[in-house]
Amino acid sequence: MRTGAAIVLDTLESLGVETVFGYPGGAIMPLYDALYDHRIAHVLVRHEAAAVFAASGFARSTGRPGVCIATSGPGATNLITGIVDAMMDNVPLVALTGQVRTTVMGTDAFQEVDVAAITHQVTKRNIVVRSIEQIEPALRAAFRLATGDRPGPVLVDLPTDVLRAIEAQRIDAATESPAQRERPRADARSLDAAVAALAGAERPLLIVGGGTRWSGATEIFRALAARIGAPIVSTLHGLGCADPGDPAFLGMTGMHGWKRANLAVAKADVLVALGMRFDDRVTGDPAKFAPNAHTIVHADIDRAEFNKVVRAQITLHGDLRETLVALDHRLARVSLPSFEAWRQAACAPQEQLPRDDTRHDHLSATDLLDALFAALPDDAIVATDVGQHQMWAAQRVRASHPQHFLTSGGLGSMGFGLPAAMGAQMAHPGRMVVAIVGDGGFQMSMAELATLRRHELPVKIVLLDNRNLGMVRQWQELFYNGRYSATALPDNPEFTTIARAYGIEARLVDNANAIGPAIVRMLESPGPMLLHCACYPHENVWPIIPAGKGVDDLMEAVPA
Amino acid sequence: MRTVTANDGRILARIIHLAHRFGCTYTSVAARQTGAAYRMEFAFAGPGDALRRLDAQITKLLDDDRETME
Ligand SMILES: Cc1ncc(C[n+]2csc(CCOP(=O)(O)OP(=O)(O)O)c2C)c(N)n1
Repeated sequence: MRTGAAIVLDTLESLGVETVFGYPGGAIMPLYDALYDHRIAHVLVRHEAAAVFAASGFARSTGRPGVCIATSGPGATNLITGIVDAMMDNVPLVALTGQVRTTVMGTDAFQEVDVAAITHQVTKRNIVVRSIEQIEPALRAAFRLATGDRPGPVLVDLPTDVLRAIEAQRIDAATESPAQRERPRADARSLDAAVAALAGAERPLLIVGGGTRWSGATEIFRALAARIGAPIVSTLHGLGCADPGDPAFLGMTGMHGWKRANLAVAKADVLVALGMRFDDRVTGDPAKFAPNAHTIVHADIDRAEFNKVVRAQITLHGDLRETLVALDHRLARVSLPSFEAWRQAACAPQEQLPRDDTRHDHLSATDLLDALFAALPDDAIVATDVGQHQMWAAQRVRASHPQHFLTSGGLGSMGFGLPAAMGAQMAHPGRMVVAIVGDGGFQMSMAELATLRRHELPVKIVLLDNRNLGMVRQWQELFYNGRYSATALPDNPEFTTIARAYGIEARLVDNANAIGPAIVRMLESPGPMLLHCACYPHENVWPIIPAGKGVDDLMEAVPA
Repeated sequence: MRTVTANDGRILARIIHLAHRFGCTYTSVAARQTGAAYRMEFAFAGPGDALRRLDAQITKLLDDDRETME
């Protein structure tokens, strides 16, 4: 007869879980005891925040749910940021937390925290398991919910006595999970209306978001886009959905998007928004967003997204892949006007990203990223942290699939990059996985160097060290009269020494000539490696549309 | 007034938090346990857009609630 803990692991295994990320502690010890000789691989992180971000990286790079484990109390509360991050970015994630015994719950027992209450608003659902019989159904429901409709995090709280309990008789595992409930399908009238809007359009624009990746719609999106022939822009999470080599693809739109992409949004008369939620980093001031679009078509699986920020004339409520298939069928039967002249005008192939003059004696972070992206293999997975380096990367990355670019978008949580890369590397052992991080965010998860070493994860860390909390510094320069409050990091440690202390190869790059050889060396290195790039401290991200403004306010340099 | 049935009684709290987040208030809330489920009645006040979004969110929560207990 099995313990509750063994049932947890057996159920996880039957749900296809091979790897979990976690950190042990008192209440969750029975589960760790069962893990001791179980087939499921456990990755020991150095902080629970890394466990949840690593699970997120695993999920973002595979589309399958990531699983993280923490003990009760502080272990559970250390997961919260990553859970919110998964909620904001629709990442299927199952968090398992230890809980104090059911008999002392509610008595302020040692390391008791009501994590179910704390995470109530920020999970799709959480489940407090109160008996051994509930374990398996709870876990199956958690996986169904995490992956169903609009994906997201589910937390399952496991009291220690439930984990230690012994089943009275073999609780027969249902080998098959109940089917997902049927996904909504866009209705025929709205689909026809969308086709009619495109047929009547002069300047249609496709704006592709993260819903495309989660519904597995990349291929059909590309086929549909080719059929329509309209220009395409992407949100941060839509990057990789459009073929980066497609001449119709104008790049990322929004606050730090390409000028041509934002101008196309401003000029479009029909905007087709696919699996995106009009985040304020995309729209700026919603009143100034897409001022010439008489028709906005919004396709999403979540009805609650419609008309939340931007009013749509046509809404397509349904699984995005199915919506795109249905649109494609319909469009095959109509002949659309040619949008070629508009596409070419919008494309501005000669457009360059504006950049700061970083002077010859300094290393430019953007030069380095240009060289990195030119050198990376097509199927490389890039995870970023949050800040300037994230936006520079998003402007330049040539992801050939959305699961190749992992970034904390909705929450924008520093400390994400390195653990997310770890999770992706666990899922894709043979692949090149690169973490692009800033010196601020790296120091929020630096202890994970130990995890890389322990598990021989060959993640390449590109640390763009501008000795500043760069993104905040940039805003202070532009919007707070250069009052640099608490953003300088002149006392950063010697990162190469730190990496080497963890047994990780490290190399310093501090001038432009060193970029090429350093990248080659890094990509050839079989193990983990830190490339410490000592960058010009005041390089800014251009263009920028200041928060709450429109494309007319786009800035390409510090005002004279 | 919207009447809903949920397996998870905590949804009541979640809905009230959401309403406040969306800039609405509740004008009346009543709930009672009926068998294993909970029957809840809500009335909210607030801007029309926010009320519509709240309604959509409640529907979503109830869909997920049904799924949990299958
Ligand atoms: C956990 C967390 N704390 C604070 C912030 C606010 N924030 C956004 S970007 C940024 C600066 C990041 O600095 P760094 O990691 O050095 O990257 P850079 O911008 O220099 O590329 C800060 C502090 C955040 N996004 N996340």
